[in-house]
Amino acid sequence: MRLSTKSRYALEGLLYLAVYGGAGPLSVKEIASGIQVSPAYMEQIFVQLKRSGLIGTQRGSGGGFFLSRPEDTITVGKVIEILEGSTVPVRCVENRSSCSGRVRHCISRRVWVRVSDAIAETANALTLKAIKDQFIAETGGAGK
Amino acid sequence: MKISTKGRYGLRALIDLALHSRGTCVSLSDISARQELSLNYLESIFAYLKKSGLVIGVAGAQGGYLLAKPAEQITLLEVLTALEGDLSVYDHIGAEPPIRAFLNRNVWDAIDRSITDVLKNTSLADLLEELHTDAT
Repeated sequence: MRLSTKSRYALEGLLYLAVYGGAGPLSVKEIASGIQVSPAYMEQIFVQLKRSGLIGTQRGSGGGFFLSRPEDTITVGKVIEILEGSTVPVRCVENRSSCSGRVRHCISRRVWVRVSDAIAETANALTLKAIKDQFIAETGGAGK
Repeated sequence: MKISTKGRYGLRALIDLALHSRGTCVSLSDISARQELSLNYLESIFAYLKKSGLVIGVAGAQGGYLLAKPAEQITLLEVLTALEGDLSVYDHIGAEPPIRAFLNRNVWDAIDRSITDVLKNTSLADLLEELHTDAT
């Protein structure tokens, strides 16, 4: 049940911004090199995050990306939703009519509802703020 | 993050088998008719379930499939691992940059745990009981 690398790199990029972006905007190049992904791919992901209002851009020299929302309002669940469309692994959980089956009582849907709830509960409780604090506590804050 | 067709149809077919097998075997054509799943597809799914030791095939005119052990002893984790393989939300590949390794440990592993916990703690028998309770 793999997530795309987009979701994972998005969270890495956001964590990088939260930890190292305190003094001002960071360039895509710096973030991409910090988390070891290609700048072009990082840029593509950040465009999606910007469209969703999680980050902003500043033009000009010294410009780049910055977090545009408080870190405690950015959750892992939100990041997955932006990049994957949803945290739900089976479509019928959100939309019963997405099922092509005409069987009236689906005998397995309840399992998917339960799995989806478990994912959402965990992912929505994990905030960027908590993740950043733990990262700084573990690495001393300078562990680039 | 999606469960494959094999995982979705396979679970449905196995629950159907458990619901309708009262010590006797259930034919795939019956499951196919009840669940509106193609017989061909069910055959390939049951080959997997058999290889994983979850069902036993019985040959012959009255043949079909049986659960290989009591429904109480089959967890949903076992079933979905047989059908989907590793259920983790990410690929575990050796050395990672520090931020990635940190997030794997503290975020993605936590999500994996929440998924496996829910599946490990539900047996096929639990599910049958719930379905039975709902129906009455």
